[in-house]
Amino acid sequence: MILGRVIGQVWATRKNPYLQGKKLLLVLPLTWYEPDHDCDHLVAVDPVGAEVGQDVVVCLGLPARWALGDLRHPVEASIAAIVDRVETYEQASRRPRFRFAAGREPATWIERPE
Amino acid sequence: MNRGVVIGEVWATRKAPRLLDRKLLLVALTGADPVAERFTGRVVVAYDGLDAGIGDRVIVAFGSGARNAVAPGSRDVLVDAAVVQVIEGEGPRNGP
Repeated sequence: MILGRVIGQVWATRKNPYLQGKKLLLVLPLTWYEPDHDCDHLVAVDPVGAEVGQDVVVCLGLPARWALGDLRHPVEASIAAIVDRVETYEQASRRPRFRFAAGREPATWIERPE
Repeated sequence: MNRGVVIGEVWATRKAPRLLDRKLLLVALTGADPVAERFTGRVVVAYDGLDAGIGDRVIVAFGSGARNAVAPGSRDVLVDAAVVQVIEGEGPRNGP
């Protein structure tokens, strides 16, 4: 799963019948691990009820299809949780190269001493 | 599966149904050298069934196999990355 921020919603009238009635959100990834898609945005199905501006956890791949109860949905990203806060400890944050890129920190980021 | 270091926790109250009972960890994936602990810059949110703590070195399983860490054989769980092992030691030789 990855961390992302909801930056918008996507509407459509002509779409795959399995997507009828599903809410689609535009998500800006804050973290990323898939080497083969190096992208700056993601469209995810929302069964949880996230709103624009919130940080979310996005599930990718096959498990995202099961979120809608059926493998036949043409979906590969689905919102799994709405983030309240992200917490790290000072010692962990001094390790090299784990910080989020500039402007890509979660809104609810907390650092606390060990 | 990949090695990584736990760098933080993610707190959420509204979650998909089967994720309710466990915490989610932020794991930074590391490179091939176990001594230098170089980070690849990739960070993943992983389900934690083992109570790993911040600073622990762990192995993360990806894809649909990660759901077996939540409940073996389950299909309706929204998890694509899970901590499956907390590393105690590793090296070029065989274990003890």
